[in-house]
Amino acid sequence: MISVRPEAEILGDIASILSTQLGVQSSSSIDLETRFFADLGLASIDAVVLGEAIQNHYNRRLPFNELMAEIGRRANRDLSIGELVAFVSEHL
Amino acid sequence: MPKLITNGLNFHYQQAGSGPDVVLIHGVTGDLSIWFLSQAMGVLSQSFRVTAYDLRGHGYSDVTPTGYTSADQAGDALAIIDALEIDRAMLVGHSFGAVIAMHTALLAPERIEALVVSDPSFPALRHLEDLSRWGHWQNFREEAAQAGVTLSDEHWYDLGRFFDQVSHLDGDQLLRFRQAVGLPGFNRLMRLAPTTCGADAKEIAGLTEDLIRSVTQPVLGLFGEFSPFLATADYLAEHLAHCVKELVPGAKHRAPEENAAKFVDLVYEYLLTQQPRAQMVRSTR
Repeated sequence: MISVRPEAEILGDIASILSTQLGVQSSSSIDLETRFFADLGLASIDAVVLGEAIQNHYNRRLPFNELMAEIGRRANRDLSIGELVAFVSEHL
Repeated sequence: MPKLITNGLNFHYQQAGSGPDVVLIHGVTGDLSIWFLSQAMGVLSQSFRVTAYDLRGHGYSDVTPTGYTSADQAGDALAIIDALEIDRAMLVGHSFGAVIAMHTALLAPERIEALVVSDPSFPALRHLEDLSRWGHWQNFREEAAQAGVTLSDEHWYDLGRFFDQVSHLDGDQLLRFRQAVGLPGFNRLMRLAPTTCGADAKEIAGLTEDLIRSVTQPVLGLFGEFSPFLATADYLAEHLAHCVKELVPGAKHRAPEENAAKFVDLVYEYLLTQQPRAQMVRSTR
């Protein structure tokens, strides 16, 4: 499915949500390489809340269950913003 | 973000699926994300309406200075069930969440149909356990010692002492401790440390040995194969009217993380036996 939103726009949306709803201070310096946990100091509970906020923003259910399960399977349990953007882009 | 106000507090919760109600209760220092990371939400919601919430002091729920005993938090659980208009539910609790679940079932037996208690350590049954069986504790104790936090074998269950020491770390010690546990874990601990959570978690708070033995609901006692609480597992299976015991292969105290797939399968299978009317949908995992 072709996404109607360019990834740069999705990145901007996510950075804005991180700032306004999760209180992330450094949202202006977020790029695709930024890691959710290691760089932003967030936790898996924040990923759950962020997923909810992203779905509300786009008014669309997204299969965040799959993404959370993928994080759970990783040894370092981390996720890059780039992976999150790609996930959102794929499912919008 | 789904939040509800009950018992005078804001609670963050997540809900998915349809069918008989199941409520998931995480343990101290955790939060409801464990139910997503382990895929419990995804799998169980195929047959049940699953609700997970953050305990007070945890995740995105309100932090209170007091009120963390199993009795207090069973009150929270019942208030949440009321607020969500859940008439009857099965409860799945992990660690202290399992203690809360059992206390809830005893306070309101007409509301709780069955229980899954995953690796609980009941304050009233502490005398059963031999800490030397828990290698993880020894490792954690060494890490904590390097960061200036002393944890004694004698008071291994005493989260209060642990939190108290963490609160009083400064400068270099604080940095080392933070590096040892990681920033998210550190933030969670610092938020809980000034509360009575640590002390309250070791209070019997009315959940006596006699009361535990009086549980009549069906119970699955789910313990890690290498859990430090296997004596509790045997005790529950022996003394409760309808308790079966299962071990999660390869797991210690954190089966939802250590063997998530098997943990969730065992929970799902058990809940289906308690609710045959629930639609059984096998996912490809």
